[in-house]
Amino acid sequence: MKNNEIQQRLRQEAKTLLEQGQVEYIVGYETGSLKFTTTPLLTKNKDDTDRLIVNPFIVNNLSVYLTEIKGKVGIVAKGCDSRSVVSLIQDNKIAREDIVIMGIPCPGLIDLKKVELLLSKDRDELGNITRDEDRVVITIDGKGRDFPITEVLFDNCLECQIPTPQEYDILLGEPTTPISGNVSKRTNIKELEATPREERWNFWKEEFSRCIRCYACRNVCPACFCQRCFVEESEPQWILPTPKWQDNLIFQVIRNIHVAGRCTDCGECERVCPMNIPLRSLTRKMYEIVDELFQYKAGMDKNALPLLTAYEPTEAEDFIR
Amino acid sequence: MKQELGWEPKLLGFLCRWCSYAGADLAGISRKKYPANIEVIRVPCSGRVDPLFIIKALRLGFDGVLVSGCYPGDCHYQTGNYRARRRMAITKKFLEYIGIEPQRIQASWVSASEGGKFAEVVTAVTKELKEIEHNQLFADEK
Ligand code: SF4
Ligand code: SF4
Ligand code: SF4
Repeated sequence: MKNNEIQQRLRQEAKTLLEQGQVEYIVGYETGSLKFTTTPLLTKNKDDTDRLIVNPFIVNNLSVYLTEIKGKVGIVAKGCDSRSVVSLIQDNKIAREDIVIMGIPCPGLIDLKKVELLLSKDRDELGNITRDEDRVVITIDGKGRDFPITEVLFDNCLECQIPTPQEYDILLGEPTTPISGNVSKRTNIKELEATPREERWNFWKEEFSRCIRCYACRNVCPACFCQRCFVEESEPQWILPTPKWQDNLIFQVIRNIHVAGRCTDCGECERVCPMNIPLRSLTRKMYEIVDELFQYKAGMDKNALPLLTAYEPTEAEDFIR
Repeated sequence: MKQELGWEPKLLGFLCRWCSYAGADLAGISRKKYPANIEVIRVPCSGRVDPLFIIKALRLGFDGVLVSGCYPGDCHYQTGNYRARRRMAITKKFLEYIGIEPQRIQASWVSASEGGKFAEVVTAVTKELKEIEHNQLFADEK
């Protein structure tokens, strides 16, 4: 199914859900104010459903809103987002029956920063960006240029193994398969792993010297749902509010440990970081550690116990004296 | 890296009140010899230990952290140590990845009757810590 067909169907389904009172709210995407971008649309009004869109720029993981909305919600969810929804159900933050998941089999999203880099152009200088299967056509001054889609997709989309929502009420389109082909995966992680310990530490020290502790990474993350985050505690005060690299690093390391088993590698934290800190080289690594040690992937089964609540009588013992 | 002369590592232990703390107590009562490098914080259960405690201890300059609880199956709260085990497993791997020496993150099972084992654990951990450099991870200048 083409995006416009999916979009048409989504609008209908969303409208029906509101009309029939099956949900109180719809959470989806609409056109954003900056070129190419989209922005979340949260509405009770059935006429607004005509503004819902589906295109390669629907970046937000909308599940982050679910814990804050009271009442039944119909939510648009890509593969990773749908797993975040499931993860929230596992953690008893939301109830399955309060959510209608409108799943989108996700072909991958286009990273505008990569597009700009590829063409050495600002997004405002570009005409159109159109995806056609495994190609993308970008027009500049009326002339179309054609690239493999893998050049412009987000890294986490290139590495995504579960692009089709596993849990849904309505599936908008046919199930899709992971991106294959000649794409380099986990490049940063592999490089770091091959680096001596001290240099790894210094790498992160440098990176987190830039962090301004805006907390965008935390606020955008559906797995960071604490009413009161440890960074704001004052008795004891775990870290100072001033952005010193030591405390910045502690914040991010602990955040990663706290979201272990809930993080679906949606990539939102890295995308929103205004300082371009390669946060996915942390979150993705944790995702892999969890899978390697416990054969667990976040949000695959709504009836499973959350990773850090569950246990097997014997497991992961080798480091214990 | 050259160590200062007479340098002794500082170790912080989080010991569960039912098993390992009692084990440490027994080590004292039965006059077992072990290095005086450990400072102890008694916790209700090894499951109480947020990895935040570990990294905070390193930030404060401890050279290593030991989390110790009851053996699997013996937890006073049934499952606390199982949870600690999962958490410690991911924490250890993750901290190693970002560049913290694995020797700094230690864990053990010590029961209330194992004064001897507690002494052995502290001795072994202290020895490992002496083999790596003094913790300067969070120092501003090296
Ligand atoms: S989004 Fe980036 S700059 Fe902001 S707190 Fe997170 S890591 Fe730091
Ligand atoms: S960093 Fe930890 S304490 Fe803070 S919101 Fe995220 S999970 Fe909660
Ligand atoms: S930690 Fe980052 S990648 Fe993981 S769920 Fe949160 S926002 Fe998404």
